[in-house]
Amino acid sequence: MSDVKTHSIDISAMQRSQQALRIEDESVCLSVNDLHLFYGEKEALKGIDMIIPEKKVTAFIGPSGCGKSTLLRCFNRMNDLVDSCRITGEINLHDQNIYAKGTDVAELRRRVGMVFQKPNPFPKSIYENVAYGLRIQGINKKRILDETVEWALRSAALWDEVKDRLHESALGMSGGQQQRLVIARTVAVKPEVLLLDEPASALDPISTLKIEELIHELKNDFTIAIVTHNMQQAARVSDYTAFMYLGDLIEFGDTNTLFTNPGKQQTEDYITGRYG
Amino acid sequence: MKMKKKSVSEWVKSGDPWVWLNAGAVAISVIMVIGLLLLIAVRGLGHFWPADVVEAHYELPGNQAYNIVAERVESVEVPAAQLREAGIDIPDHHKLMQRTLMKTGNRDIYGSDFRWVIDEYLTDVKRPEMLFTAERHEWGNLYGYLQSVKQDGQVVSETNDTTPTESALATWAAFESSIDRATDIFDEIHEIEKGDIGKINYGLERIRLEQRRLELNGELTPAAVADLAVERSQYDEEYKLLQQSLIDLYAKINRDTFVVQAMDGTVHELPVAKIVRAYRANAMNFGQKMAFYFAKLGEFLSAEPREANTEGGVFPAIFGTVMMVLLMTVLVTPFGVVAAVYLREYAKQGVLTRIIRIAVNNLAGVPSIVYGVFGLGFFIYFLGSGIDQAFFPEALPSPTFGTGGLMWASITLALLTVPVVIVATEEGLSRIPRNVREGSLALGATKAETLWRVILPMASPAIMTGVILAVARAAGEVAPLMLVGVVKLAPSLPLDGNYPYIHLDQKFMHLGFHIYDVGFQSPNVEAARPLVYATALLLVVVIALLNLAAVTIRNHLREKYKSLEM
Repeated sequence: MSDVKTHSIDISAMQRSQQALRIEDESVCLSVNDLHLFYGEKEALKGIDMIIPEKKVTAFIGPSGCGKSTLLRCFNRMNDLVDSCRITGEINLHDQNIYAKGTDVAELRRRVGMVFQKPNPFPKSIYENVAYGLRIQGINKKRILDETVEWALRSAALWDEVKDRLHESALGMSGGQQQRLVIARTVAVKPEVLLLDEPASALDPISTLKIEELIHELKNDFTIAIVTHNMQQAARVSDYTAFMYLGDLIEFGDTNTLFTNPGKQQTEDYITGRYG
Repeated sequence: MKMKKKSVSEWVKSGDPWVWLNAGAVAISVIMVIGLLLLIAVRGLGHFWPADVVEAHYELPGNQAYNIVAERVESVEVPAAQLREAGIDIPDHHKLMQRTLMKTGNRDIYGSDFRWVIDEYLTDVKRPEMLFTAERHEWGNLYGYLQSVKQDGQVVSETNDTTPTESALATWAAFESSIDRATDIFDEIHEIEKGDIGKINYGLERIRLEQRRLELNGELTPAAVADLAVERSQYDEEYKLLQQSLIDLYAKINRDTFVVQAMDGTVHELPVAKIVRAYRANAMNFGQKMAFYFAKLGEFLSAEPREANTEGGVFPAIFGTVMMVLLMTVLVTPFGVVAAVYLREYAKQGVLTRIIRIAVNNLAGVPSIVYGVFGLGFFIYFLGSGIDQAFFPEALPSPTFGTGGLMWASITLALLTVPVVIVATEEGLSRIPRNVREGSLALGATKAETLWRVILPMASPAIMTGVILAVARAAGEVAPLMLVGVVKLAPSLPLDGNYPYIHLDQKFMHLGFHIYDVGFQSPNVEAARPLVYATALLLVVVIALLNLAAVTIRNHLREKYKSLEM
């Protein structure tokens, strides 16, 4: 990652490899077994069974309110913050049930990082934003911090833009830069999984393209799950796609097949724009 | 007529009356505040100006004529009938008469230092240059003509002139140098009495307490007694030396005397040591008056009070006020923030938290004197006497913390202001966007880490807002302080060079109480009145400065964490 990246749009990098992907061939990173989630009385997820393959990009699509963000937030137990939320079933991260009693949630969130829809940098300097996760872990050695911050910013394709103003406030950056900073911040703690919750929906087209390019780069090192409203985006960046509707997982398969030859009528209706 | 009616109703409809009403209300408020400040500023600051001293002939009809030497203080118009009722024979053609309050000083000679005169009968008003004013350590101002200066009873310089002749000026010069000398010696005496002897007294008291403590613990061995006796004899020896030098200084300071002729023609011989400063206001030009003015203002701000607080400065009161407020801030901020964090972040939101919130809000409305009573009953009598019995048994029966003091006053005011800080902090915490919290949690931070590293820094401007309101309220509060530790005259500052340097158990002076004391408890109300205004102005300035400091800190924090607008 030490080579200087150019930011012209790299078309070839964005085209998926043509070889056919088969879910059965993938190694499993996260597996979801019969997951039900209730907000009070309302059942928001109705028995999800699926896997998230390792070092691949898995996209979640579906109309608003279908539960795709809710599912994503189950992977790092962000739903714990909602008082009325109740979960049954299990999610295994490398064969370890993250909803088992005694799970260290902070530790889990270190392993499963998350980027939100709206950029949410802390009101600190760019450097301190990226170093935040490390400082939380008690790492305060300047040399290690410097190295990790540079590596993370390069990973997020932000280094060249900010290397001269690392100690200025992160709040002075543009929205697209802020979102890449948040990605850098998440990458800096070296998680196994990156959860992206509509990471580009608040950004302009150029910034969106940069983020997509970045996702393509990051999948070499991380397992990525992305929620998106934009089907073209899902088609461009993901290897596997899950289509959800009203709390059910309707169809899950490799992206090529799902978009070109969907197995279910509902999926076809959605991707051809008949509802959503 | 119809046209006009219609236009009025249209005018009402247009909303203009409301704009006028609101603007008018704002204007009235601003004018009242500015008027208030101007009033106390003019009355208070004018006090330090060296007023001209007039000499005049005063003859009320039917009374004996006499000479008056005085400063004009104020003038009012009174109906002549009122004066006639008072037994003054005033001709019928007068309806209103100008009456002036004159400060004649020389309280030791005439018994009072103010009198009212009717301008009509004041004739032959002069401002003689040789007339001088002398501020004294006691008995207030002295006005008169200098006749001679003596050393050890021998005349050094004398004059019979009341005009600035050579001999008069030479006597004046001798007088001034004599005052300078006496002031230097006075400062030296003060230094020894307050500083060195104060330190020795403090040390002796410490030895006494140490001995008493050993006695109570049954550890008072003959060896310990001998040790303490050695220490004590060291102090005694030091004390003897100091006392000798004090005797010498007193002998020196009492060497000079001066002879003065008062307005009634009587002649008095007084020691120079009694004089604080002497000046001839009528002979001063504008520059000299300005210099004098700022010297007096400086004295007011930096000196200790004299003469039952009606003269001198208010430094101990400024110091006490500021120190008490700072101590209160240090106490109230962590308490308020911790309470607010618990209520907002940790407590399960429900009926109980709602009740607690209502209780906290109502606590802010409890009259402050009630807090004073609570402070006296709970902090001083209960906690304080408990502390005394546990930690300071050697000092009993005289209380250490079992009586009003700086610490109890600060804690009482902290209790008084803690609701403000809680409410402001809660407000700030609730305004922090959820996604920032989630961002931190998603990085593997625990709730406590998120609070400490992200939430509290972002809420700090709101916390400071609470602190500003708390400071504003606490600094102006007087009533509860009267019960928990403020006194009219504290012998020493709560912060000094004697170990442990900060004396939290000590009583202290406060500007607010000083105003009350000087204005209403003073034996000489007329003389003290300008000081009431000056002290009031000073209190306003001190509170404004404390607030300004807090506002500056808040703005700095706001600049740093301005993401809330995101």
